[in-house]
Amino acid sequence: MKNSKVKEIVVPAVSLFLICAAVTALLALTNQVTAPKISQLAVETENRTKNEVLADAKSFSDAKSASLDGSEYTYYEGLDGSGKIIGYVFSTSAKGYGGDIDVMVGIDSNGVIKGVSILSISETAGLGMNAKNDSFLNQYNGKSGELSVIKNGTPAEDEIQALTGATITSKAMTNAVNIAQNLYTQVGGENDG
Amino acid sequence: MKIFFSILLTAILTNNYILSKFLGICPFLGVSKKLNTAVGMSAAVIFVMMLASAVTYPLNTFLENHDLGYLQTIVFILVIAALVQLVEIVLKKYIPALYASLGIYLPLITTNCAVLGVTILNIDSGYSFAHAMINSLGAGLGFMVAMVMFAGVRSRLESCQVPKFLQGLPITLIAASLTSLSFLGFTGLVENMFA
Amino acid sequence: MAKQKTLREEFTKGIIKENPVLRLVLGTCPTLATTTSMESAIGMGISAAIVLVCSNIVISALRKVIPQKVRIPCYIVVIAAFVTIVQMLVKAFVPSLDEQLGVYLPLIVVNCIILGRAEAFAGKNSVVASAVDGLGMGIGFTVALIVISAVRELFGAGSLLGHALLPFPAMTIFVLAPGGFFVFGLVMACANKLAEMGGGKKAELGGCKACPMADTCQKLAKGDACEKEGKETVES
Repeated sequence: MKNSKVKEIVVPAVSLFLICAAVTALLALTNQVTAPKISQLAVETENRTKNEVLADAKSFSDAKSASLDGSEYTYYEGLDGSGKIIGYVFSTSAKGYGGDIDVMVGIDSNGVIKGVSILSISETAGLGMNAKNDSFLNQYNGKSGELSVIKNGTPAEDEIQALTGATITSKAMTNAVNIAQNLYTQVGGENDG
Repeated sequence: MKIFFSILLTAILTNNYILSKFLGICPFLGVSKKLNTAVGMSAAVIFVMMLASAVTYPLNTFLENHDLGYLQTIVFILVIAALVQLVEIVLKKYIPALYASLGIYLPLITTNCAVLGVTILNIDSGYSFAHAMINSLGAGLGFMVAMVMFAGVRSRLESCQVPKFLQGLPITLIAASLTSLSFLGFTGLVENMFA
Repeated sequence: MAKQKTLREEFTKGIIKENPVLRLVLGTCPTLATTTSMESAIGMGISAAIVLVCSNIVISALRKVIPQKVRIPCYIVVIAAFVTIVQMLVKAFVPSLDEQLGVYLPLIVVNCIILGRAEAFAGKNSVVASAVDGLGMGIGFTVALIVISAVRELFGAGSLLGHALLPFPAMTIFVLAPGGFFVFGLVMACANKLAEMGGGKKAELGGCKACPMADTCQKLAKGDACEKEGKETVES
C-alpha cells in the first residue's frame, strides 16, 4: 500500500519538480548570455536614434532627467564640435492603441523640432503601424509649439494630419512630441540666453 | 473613473480579443455552434481570466523585483494550469451547481491563448493592478459578446445553402470575417466618447 | 500498433497530408495574427518550428522518465522553456521580429500544434522519429503561414516581403482582422478542393485529434451531448 502511494504521488511530484529545476537552470544560463546583448542592443538603438533625430549634433551629453506632471523623462544635450549645446533629444512616451509608444524627439536650440523617431510601438498592422512611415513622421519636422491632430482637410502650421483609421495612434504620437516640447521649455529655456 | 470605462469598452468593443487580436480562436470556432455552450464557455473564460490576472499580476511584480523576468512565460502558464485544476476540484466539491454549468469547459481553458494572452498583455501595457483587473473583465466580456454573436450567425448559417466549395470550415471563417468587420465599426468609438 | 512508417513519410506528412494549419486546423491564433506580412509570418513559422523540434526531441527522450499522471504539465514546462529561450534569442539577435510578433512570441507556448505533437507523437515515438515529425510539422506550419501572408500582404499592403509590387492602391482591409479570417477561409477552401482531388477528406475542427483538448472540444461541438455530459460528471 505504502509503496503504491509513493508511486502515485511522490514520483510524479519529484519528477515534475526536477524538470522544473532543470528548465530554470537552463533559462538562467540563456539569460546570462542574452541579457547583456539585449541591453547593449537597446543602447545601440538609442544612440542611432539620437543621431537620426538631431543629425547636426556631433556628440551627446550623458542622460539627464527632467520631470513633468509627475513623470520622469530622460533627455540628452546635443553638442557641436566645440561642446556647445545646439539642441536636445527627449525620450518620451504616450499611450497609443496597443500600449505605450516610445519616441525620441530632437529639438534644436531655437525650439524647432528636427526629427521624431519611434523606439517601440505595437499598434495595429496596416493602420497605426503606419506611424513608423517617414511620410507621417516628417510632418513634425520644422514645427514648434503645441501641436494638435486633424482628421480631414489641410493641416495648418500647428496641426498634424492623422493617419487614416488610426487617430488614437496619431494623437498619442503628437502627445509624446508635445511632452518633449514642454520639457524643452523647461530645460532649454535657461540655456537660451 | 473615466479610464476604467475606457479600458473596459476598449477591451470589449474596439480591441476585442477574438475579433481583433485573434486570441482564443479555437473555442471561438469549436464551441460556438450552440448558444448555451457559447455562453457557458465564455462564463468560464471570464472567471478564469479574472482569477489568472489577479494571481499573475503580483507574481510578476515579485519576479521582476528579483531579476527573474525571464521566467514570466513559464511561471504564468504553470500558474494558470494549476489554477484551472484547482478551480475544477473546488467547484466539483463545494459548488456542484456551478460545476455543472462551467466544469466541462475548464480543461479547455488551460491552453486557451486568450487567458495567457490577457495576463501577459496586462503586464506589457503597464497597467496598474486595478486597470489590469478591468482589462481582464473586459477581455472576458468581449470574448462572450463575440461568442454569443457568432453562435447566432452560425445558427443562421446552418439553414443556408452554401456553395459546396465553401462548406464547412471555410464558410465559418468567412462568417467570422464579416463578424469581425462589424466590430471594426467600433474603431474610434471609445476615443471619441472619452476624448 | 500500426506498422512503422518510414522517416520520409513522417517528414512529408506534416507538410501536405497532415498540414497542421490547413488539414488539422491547429494553431489558428498565430496563423491569423502573424500573417499580416510575410516577414512576420516567416519569423513566427521558424520560431514555432524550432520550439517544436526541440520540445519533440526532449519530450521523446524523456518519455520513459515522465510519469503518465503529470505528463501534460511536464510537456508544458519543456515547451515553455524552449519558447522562452527562443524569445530571448530573438530579442537579442532579431529585435525587429520581436517587435512585430509582440505578445504572440510568448504565446507559442499555447500553440496547440506543439502540445498536440508532444501528446500525439513525441510521447510515444523514438527521438529521431519525433525530431523528423517536428521538423515536418514545423515546415508545414511555416508554409501555410507564408501562403496566407503572401495573399494578405500582396492585397493589403501591395507588397511582398516589403517590396512594393501592386500598381494600384492596396486594400488595407486585407491586413486587418477581417481580412485575416477571410483569406484563411479561402485558402482553407482551396486546400479542401486540392485534398478532395487527391482523394482526401475535408478539414474539420472535429479532425483535431492531435489536440490534447480534442475530447472535451468534440463533446462540446456536438452540442446536444453537452448538457447530459455536465450532469454525468457531477454525479460521478
